[in-house]
Amino acid sequence: MIKRFSREYGSVYVLLILCAYYTFATWSVQHPTTPGAARELAESVVEEHGESARVLIIVRDKPVQDVLFAEAASEALKARGATVVDVVTGDPRGARKAIEKAGASGVKLDAILTHHYAAQWGPLSREHLDEMAAEHASLVGVRIHTPKSYMWSNFLTPANLGNVMNQNADVAIIAIGMTMVIITAGIDLAVGSVMAFAAVVIAVTIQRWMGGAEASTVGVLAGVMIGVGAAALMGVFNGVMVTYARIPAFVVTLGLMMIARGLALIMAVQYQADLSGGATKGTPESVNITAPGFGDFASGDLLGLPNAVVLMLVLYVAAHLVMKHTSFGRYVYAVGGNPEAARLSGVPVTGVLIAVYAVCAAMAGVAAIVDASRFVGGRPSAGDLHELRVIAAVVVGGTSLAGGQGKVFGTLIGAMIIAVIQNGLDMAGVQAYEKMVVFGSLILAAVLLDQVKKRWLSGVPSKWGAELGGVVVEVGGDGSVAGGDGGGGGGDGGGG
Amino acid sequence: MTRRLALVLMLTLGLFVLPACDKGEGGGGDDKKGADGGGGEPAKGTIGYSAMQMKNPFFKVIADTLTESAEKAGYKVVVSDANDQVSEQANHIDNFIQQKVTAIVLNPVDRNAIGPAIKKANEAGIPVFTCDLQCVDPEAKVVAHVGTDNLGGGKLAGEAMIEALGEAGGDVIVVHHAQANSCVLRVQGFTEVIEAHNEGRDAGKTNIVATIDGKATRQPAYDAMSAALSSHPNLRGVFAINDPSALGAWKAIDEQKDKVGPIVIVGFDGQYDGKVAIKEGKIYADPIQFPRKMARMTVQNIVDHFDGKEVTAVELIPTKLYKKEDAEKDPELH
Repeated sequence: MIKRFSREYGSVYVLLILCAYYTFATWSVQHPTTPGAARELAESVVEEHGESARVLIIVRDKPVQDVLFAEAASEALKARGATVVDVVTGDPRGARKAIEKAGASGVKLDAILTHHYAAQWGPLSREHLDEMAAEHASLVGVRIHTPKSYMWSNFLTPANLGNVMNQNADVAIIAIGMTMVIITAGIDLAVGSVMAFAAVVIAVTIQRWMGGAEASTVGVLAGVMIGVGAAALMGVFNGVMVTYARIPAFVVTLGLMMIARGLALIMAVQYQADLSGGATKGTPESVNITAPGFGDFASGDLLGLPNAVVLMLVLYVAAHLVMKHTSFGRYVYAVGGNPEAARLSGVPVTGVLIAVYAVCAAMAGVAAIVDASRFVGGRPSAGDLHELRVIAAVVVGGTSLAGGQGKVFGTLIGAMIIAVIQNGLDMAGVQAYEKMVVFGSLILAAVLLDQVKKRWLSGVPSKWGAELGGVVVEVGGDGSVAGGDGGGGGGDGGGG
Repeated sequence: MTRRLALVLMLTLGLFVLPACDKGEGGGGDDKKGADGGGGEPAKGTIGYSAMQMKNPFFKVIADTLTESAEKAGYKVVVSDANDQVSEQANHIDNFIQQKVTAIVLNPVDRNAIGPAIKKANEAGIPVFTCDLQCVDPEAKVVAHVGTDNLGGGKLAGEAMIEALGEAGGDVIVVHHAQANSCVLRVQGFTEVIEAHNEGRDAGKTNIVATIDGKATRQPAYDAMSAALSSHPNLRGVFAINDPSALGAWKAIDEQKDKVGPIVIVGFDGQYDGKVAIKEGKIYADPIQFPRKMARMTVQNIVDHFDGKEVTAVELIPTKLYKKEDAEKDPELH
């Protein structure tokens, strides 16, 4: 069982190693701001200054956790009989005023209870407090208390892991469709542009025809569906050109990549020009979506996971089931393994190919929803270079560009590997240019590993030529791995 | 099986960890520089800066000055390059929030679309400061903005153009970058002055015959200008919204100088390369900006904010017209 899992999803170990590495690399001082830490701190303040202690509590007004911190500290202090002089939930200016007030009141202040972040403010600095103490005797000897810091990783926190997945949810979603396309030995270079096109269609539809700021939920959903539908139509176009017109997928989608991007820019500029009543020529800016709550999807979460991540996971499970347990899924593998054999065994090759390209483009449409919600607008520059990230995720996930083999969950792991590397590099402050080098090396490494794996599996130290010719045979060979799927073995068997 | 797996793991480790290790050490070096408080942590915290586009030397100057003066004030600065992508910039802000930085500084790539990301920083209690470019989302709270008076700068550029073309006037092209709000304002100021000049004039009008997109970068500006020259043979002047696009346009004009007549170029920025070009007579004049001042004022705003002092919400620094005679006296060019 474990053996089989390792063989199919070996890249998961790479992901785990990466996570471990970044956990180690981002190991640093953490400053707690939890209510629990506040209670503990309140105890130690009372222990130091006695139960008659007079304490000022200072925190920020945001995040919400700060307010909870202040409440917990205040309750714990009062429970022990100490006096809470004032609770400041605000900014440095509020802190300055509160300290001045406490000084002017003339009643002795023993301690300021706060956390690391507010303790860095100027008014709480030692110099400022000493200055104040020179003016007001009541402030002489006032001590600042912050919760004890501890060591932990900046990477390995639930919030950051959610953040990592959320930032790459759009790439991961498109990669589902791309996996299918690549399994059929095709490619779709247009996904990034189609995503931008769909995002602008969604934005313009909602703003112009669904009432903009007055748009109802139904109107918003309709706008979203139209955007995804428009993207899917572009996919159908790709499929038709690849099958009926017999143009290589690389060329067709390269063309559409430019067309879709151009259309997105034209629509955005036209919209902005109309908005100004023809006074300006319009700029290729993001088309703002003013429908109420449109941004809530991307900023909200479900059970602690960002909504976009939940959507991504649902789509992955659905795609996995389709690819593994439906005849359509088996057809996709069969078409990629050997289209001629598939055709002879009665697989509707043309229909399958068109459907696969349509699904891929529709996924770009779904990614457009995520992007439009994240930026509360349709960006004509959305998805720039996404085609490369998506293809990288698929390849790193173990899908062969030669077609016929690949796993949807492998792609998810591939997408997460890229996400983790990107986040890790961002956290380390690595610039965009160096990131490109790392990503390029990553793709090459993944393909190289794939080749090494294949040679090992076949156990034949053959020449490269034979190796390349052997790809089709390999498909048959790996088909036995996938043979556990049931009928999949039959379709692939034709390739052998 | 196990042996194979082990080798696969080792290979991947080598490939992934080595470049990352490299970076880890680099980051450590930065730590040392920024840490005045010792223990690896800077005295007053970390400032996250997301630059619009580091290929443009203007933002490099801002980044360097910001780092330098922030370090003097006890902060460490993490610089990220959004590479003109608002999605990258939004990711930077997310990461800054995760890193729990003390303050965020950015040059918004898209004045609207960056709004939701700034709101997230607001929710996390991290103050946001903008410099050069402004965010217009009314719900996104920015503590303070320091920028250039771009409208005024555009007007100066228009006056320079009129002065250079003289009574004859002629056709003018604008090399634009309409995505950036600052550039929109520059072109607006430029256009206003040109239109006022044309008012009531029959002959010698200065006409803006086309607006082309130079993406505020040398190569795209060169490409756009090369194409535009063939469709506008009588061109007399070019207004480019920054120095890289002015230099790109100059290259295109210089290559076709046998076919086209003398063309006046007015740029914007006053970057080093731009000033040199003005000295050499390639560019007629630049309304110059003061990026160093901008960065220093931004750091001052951060320091003042955390000291609990009042900060000016929006501060626009006026530009100054810079011509050949200024370049000849400029100590920076000697």
